[in-house]
Amino acid sequence: MPDTQQLLFALGIVVVGSPLLLTCILGLSSLASRKLSEEATTRLGHVTIACGLAASIAILLIMLAVDKRHIVVELGNWVVIPDEYHFSVKFVFDRLSVPLAILSYVLSGTIGAFASQYMHREPGFNRFFVLYAIFVLGMVVTSLAGTIETLFTGWELVGLSSVLLVAFYQERPAPPRNALWIWCVYRISDAALLLAAVVMHHLSGEGDFDRLLGSGAWPDEVSSLEPRQALLVGALLLVAAAGKSGLAPFSGWLPRAMEGPTPSSAVFYGALSVHLGAFLLLRVSPLLDLSIWLSVAVATLGLLTAIFAHLAGSVQTDIKSALSFASVAQVGVIVTEIGLGFRYLPLFHLLGHACLRTLQFVRAPTLLQDYGTLENAIGDRLPRVGAPLGRLGVERYRLWLYRWSLERGYLDSLLTEYVVFPFARAFRWCNRMERRWTDLLSHGPSRESDQVQSHFGEFEELP
Amino acid sequence: MLEVSRSLKPPFDDEFQRSAALDQLNASIEHASHLLPAQGPITVFIHHNTLHAFEDLPFPEAVKRAAHVFGCNPYLSEDQYREALRSGRIRFAELKQVLHRDLGERADESIPCFGTRLDLLLAMLHDPLRTGPSEELVWFVAEANALRRIRPEASAAARARLIAETRRWVIRDLRGGGDPGEAPARGAKTQARAPQSLKELLDRFGGSTIENWTDDAWESFALQSLWRVCCDGVRDLPIFAVPPAGPIRHRDLLLEATGEDADLLVNGLLMRFVAAFLDQGLAPSEMPLRNEGFCRAFYGLYGQPAGSPDRWLRGLPEELRRLTDRRISPLESIFESLEALGVPSDEWDDFLSATFLPLRGWGGMLRQIEIRGDRAVHPVPPGSLVEFLAIRLLLDRFAAAHVARQAMDFKGPLAELRSALHERLGRHRQPTVEQRAFLVFQLAQVVGLSPDMLQRLDQPAWSKIVREIEAFNGLERRRVFHMAYERRLTTQGLDAISIHAPPRRGRPTAPAFQIACCLDEREESFRRHLEELAPSVETFGAAGFYSLAMYYRGAADAHFTPLCPVIIRPQHWVVEEVGNGHEQAHHRRAKTRRALGLASHRLHRGTRTLASGAVLTGAAGVLATFPLVARILFPRLAARIRKTLGHIVQPPPVTRLHIEFEERAGGGPDDGHVGFTVDEMTLAAERLLRDMGFTSGFARLVLLLGHGSNSLNNPYNSAYNCGACGGSAGGPNARAMAHILNDTRIREGLARRGIELPSETVFVGGMHNTCNETVTFSDLDQLPPSHREEFQQAQRSIEAACDRNAHERCRRFMSAPLTLSFHAARQHVEGRSEDLAQTRPELGHATNALTIVGRREWTRGLFLDRRAFLTSYDPTQDDDEQGILTRILQAVFPVCAGINLEYYFSRVDNSGFGSGTKLPHNLASLLGVMDGAASDLRTGLPWQMVEIHEPVRSLFIIETTPEAMLRIMDRNEGIGRLCRNGWIQLALLHPESRQVSVFHDGAFELYEAQASALPKAASSVDWYRGWRDHLEFSQIDAGADQASQPNSH
Repeated sequence: MPDTQQLLFALGIVVVGSPLLLTCILGLSSLASRKLSEEATTRLGHVTIACGLAASIAILLIMLAVDKRHIVVELGNWVVIPDEYHFSVKFVFDRLSVPLAILSYVLSGTIGAFASQYMHREPGFNRFFVLYAIFVLGMVVTSLAGTIETLFTGWELVGLSSVLLVAFYQERPAPPRNALWIWCVYRISDAALLLAAVVMHHLSGEGDFDRLLGSGAWPDEVSSLEPRQALLVGALLLVAAAGKSGLAPFSGWLPRAMEGPTPSSAVFYGALSVHLGAFLLLRVSPLLDLSIWLSVAVATLGLLTAIFAHLAGSVQTDIKSALSFASVAQVGVIVTEIGLGFRYLPLFHLLGHACLRTLQFVRAPTLLQDYGTLENAIGDRLPRVGAPLGRLGVERYRLWLYRWSLERGYLDSLLTEYVVFPFARAFRWCNRMERRWTDLLSHGPSRESDQVQSHFGEFEELP
Repeated sequence: MLEVSRSLKPPFDDEFQRSAALDQLNASIEHASHLLPAQGPITVFIHHNTLHAFEDLPFPEAVKRAAHVFGCNPYLSEDQYREALRSGRIRFAELKQVLHRDLGERADESIPCFGTRLDLLLAMLHDPLRTGPSEELVWFVAEANALRRIRPEASAAARARLIAETRRWVIRDLRGGGDPGEAPARGAKTQARAPQSLKELLDRFGGSTIENWTDDAWESFALQSLWRVCCDGVRDLPIFAVPPAGPIRHRDLLLEATGEDADLLVNGLLMRFVAAFLDQGLAPSEMPLRNEGFCRAFYGLYGQPAGSPDRWLRGLPEELRRLTDRRISPLESIFESLEALGVPSDEWDDFLSATFLPLRGWGGMLRQIEIRGDRAVHPVPPGSLVEFLAIRLLLDRFAAAHVARQAMDFKGPLAELRSALHERLGRHRQPTVEQRAFLVFQLAQVVGLSPDMLQRLDQPAWSKIVREIEAFNGLERRRVFHMAYERRLTTQGLDAISIHAPPRRGRPTAPAFQIACCLDEREESFRRHLEELAPSVETFGAAGFYSLAMYYRGAADAHFTPLCPVIIRPQHWVVEEVGNGHEQAHHRRAKTRRALGLASHRLHRGTRTLASGAVLTGAAGVLATFPLVARILFPRLAARIRKTLGHIVQPPPVTRLHIEFEERAGGGPDDGHVGFTVDEMTLAAERLLRDMGFTSGFARLVLLLGHGSNSLNNPYNSAYNCGACGGSAGGPNARAMAHILNDTRIREGLARRGIELPSETVFVGGMHNTCNETVTFSDLDQLPPSHREEFQQAQRSIEAACDRNAHERCRRFMSAPLTLSFHAARQHVEGRSEDLAQTRPELGHATNALTIVGRREWTRGLFLDRRAFLTSYDPTQDDDEQGILTRILQAVFPVCAGINLEYYFSRVDNSGFGSGTKLPHNLASLLGVMDGAASDLRTGLPWQMVEIHEPVRSLFIIETTPEAMLRIMDRNEGIGRLCRNGWIQLALLHPESRQVSVFHDGAFELYEAQASALPKAASSVDWYRGWRDHLEFSQIDAGADQASQPNSH
């Protein structure tokens, strides 16, 4: 049926194209210093997201109707080096990507509507929606990606927009600082993904998933790789997933992401981007089937993360941190499920968790009223239910564990102490060596910047 | 061991010296702790003066001090005031007036070149004066247009004069001086005056071709010579202004010297710890050792081995163990820390204040929970704040040592760190030549002062000019601007009263019904619309707790809520009971509610745990999409569905208040000390009626309205409620008071006390929701049939007034179109209160500016734009000692001034005194909000609440005589302090002559109206329709045929 094929192709273009259109209009008008009004931005957002959502639901319905499980929309090769490399842009609609795309549209559409009210008269309204558009585009591209290069593109867009949204309140020092931390974690994750792409090309000559993962529709592909190769690619992808999904030891970034306005925290870190790691693992799940060690590693990491996040979450005293650790805990459980070989279960878990968490995040500021209502209904103070740490008998361990949880497992400290410091020290050493060399060459101090006294205090003081 | 401890132990020679030092330390801590914000838990938000600690100073002095201590802005920025000057909100004539008055005799003293002092200062106010670091100024002068184009602010005349005079000067003197052959005598004279630098400049411009210079070249030459003359003029002047004291904390000095912030380390740790220590139930697990106190908990948790890998904390467990083992008290530990940091005792006050301030929100909350434990679910032991300080200083020591070691390789004792830092930093706080010259340079341009004139000045003249300019610094300029800014509004308010008050209107005769509302300024428009709709109605204003201080528990409430001003601790408990055969239904529903409540609580917690979370999110998570989408896209519909469902489990509509005292064993709510005795009720009723001056002329129907507000996703909900009810909704007070006034025994008692309530008068209590604009009444089943008809009529008027009030409110909401109908406006405000995404459910007390105490007759018919607190008071019924006025003012002053000043400070510096934008707020410990992931607890009001507020000190207009007011001010320290120190502006309306007098410098001066008439409009709607901005006060007169054109200022 060529007609269906064309229709699907057209719908696929709409699914990917509408957030792209939104990004272009909002972004270009901002670049040209002709910011759209709040109403225009809102309406444009509604229309494009609704189109994208409608198209993706239509694809789902057609897929169900004609009983097709794997639809590919190819946009051709963008770079071809014969026999060496080709860069193709390709989108895949299957049982994994379509639900995730629909989820992205539903949640970001709702949050877009929420934000257009919530951000009313905020000086950064326009900036927020530009980043929002980039984020939606990134999410959709990532979910539908058929090659690792396409996936990487979406992955980067999501990362970039997320970090800029965390740093939304750039006039205070804390948001940019936390955004920088997240950016660094994301870069580690990106580096791992990029390496994985290189290895994939090395192994299979191209970055297309179907070559790597074998033929068939998700989740029943059969890969032709050897287990050792699968382990290598899989391990790199696991690092990428861990960074993006806040698995141990990177979990510390998620509470830090709560610096942005509530709607962005809600949908981006609470619901969508935090699941991208799990999605990546699902996408390459045939690799997990190949290597038992990989599966074990995935399951273990997931489980450790879940336990850690549960303990840390149980002592957090602000609602957004509590919710973000609750998110990490569930993502940990989802990853464990993936490691244990389930496919549809984690997908369904992921969808449900994303929806529920978004609702909770959006309602977070109303917690006081909710608690009041609950107390009135119960007729008493809310019971402090079974503190997980309370059951440990020995006082000393209890204290130690409480502090460990309160300090979020010292994960960020450990990263600072054992990764950041050595890293910085190594580069400072390089700097010193270079200076020695240039000084030698120029027979004297070679850097003018050394003489400049840096100035830290505030420039303008209150008179 | 002995050696170590001796070196660390404070070197007290004897017990006496030790206790004296600790006493002094205690006093310093007490002093410092007063600077902490006094905001309690956010669930009971009480407005108070942000700078309460400075109230014993005059306002300008106090805000200046506070600005220095907190590093916050005490006024709007100069640019904002100048914008107001441009738009006419500040009038130049008034600016001149206030400046003249402020300078007094010094105004007319002459300043070389600039005319009088007044002229100079006005010139400084008129156009912006820029300054910056020297490097920036040098760059600006060298690279930007500063030396090529005269400032755009300069008038054409000033510009022309500057260039023309420079031209004459160059041709006449400067060039002539270069050619002594032509005019030797004059040339020699000029030679002495014109310095070499100007000669060079002339040469550079090509002195020989001077006739061919373009206009641009002349302009540029004028500026360059001006700049050189200014620089030369200020070069050798002494320093006039004393530079502000530099920072004294080690962290601040370290930050300035190295760019490393030691507070990042300390705050990160301490915020988490304090939040967990104070947590009122947000985290499922409670902090172990919490009940043993702050220090013990900290020692227990952080003294564990194998803790954090953080480098800066190395050695902390050992230190904590030493403190525990040697039983060193928190106070002694503070002493040790100060010693170790090298802080001498005369610096303690300032140093400890500065140490508190980085986490002032958390520190303040700790202090509040410590001293008002009754307002928290989990109080903290006494002494927690001192222990907090002890831990803070301990951590400061570790952090400072770490940063000093890391960033500047400092290895000496900590006590010497500050001197090392001072040495490294040097003192370069004095203004540089460029900075001083640039001010004169800018001023000379706008005044049109040529380099020639400046060049002829001698050093004393330069001194005088520069001293004057530097003394009138940014803060002083803003202070003067602010006075003019307030002056405009004060004049408008006083004019309105002076013109509107004199005609005697008297109370309405034969009113259809009477209604009392809270004195809240949001009720001003409600009352006005009601009076317009039903001209025979009489309205009153009283503090919204209606003289009944009580703990109240509704039929479906879990706890008692104090419903009275926060300074009172109620002695009476009142409960709402379900009666008349509804008990069974009530119990059944209560049970269902409890079951549902427990289930949803479990669900709520469950989604945050591991196993049940997995099941819940996996199995049912997708279902959350329905409420999510419904509540965000269709808030009103979702609310209606929720309400319908909620009705099933709500308590039955027929309930009674159990107000009357019952003799049962013991006291307290659970033992049954419930209610008021008849005598107490009679007293309260009498007090209320006498306060309002409402002792005769009762209509058949009298309504009492409390007020409250409800909105979603709004931690500040309580701040919108009734301030007189301690941040709760005041409906129950109105209901209880109506019940009391209907009681025949009370009426008999009142009659004995001289207030005759006619038997046909019926009181009905109700509640006004100021957010969704609804009025609901209670105990309607007890309304006698004879009054039903009248009540329905009254209710119709009130409904119509609600529609119009909603309409008037909508003019200030940017997201509500100005073309809304009354009905649509009502729907709009309903939607706002149910919308999760709405950050401005209502605008609260924003724009409040007036506080009026007196009879309604002289404000009735005045459009006060929802800006006036209106308290009813009849001076003719007061005793000679003004007992009634005194007790009214004792409540009105703290409440209204508190609201006004909190809005003032949150508006002028929203990120410093206020809590910044609401959008990233994050609820912490169920006590307050933080910014984002972790920050200090934010106190004050968020931007969304104060956005449209005009920061002005409230103008109090009280109907009494100057003598009476002075007497009250003398006898009540709090009131006197607020008036005399200028925290409010005070004016009186004489009860007899109806003349207005204004309080100034300790005495009252008669006020003369500036305007001859007020604008008139036929109705409020006619006056405000189509306007978003603040409106002028006007007379609403149904007889006026056409509205005069409104003017937004």
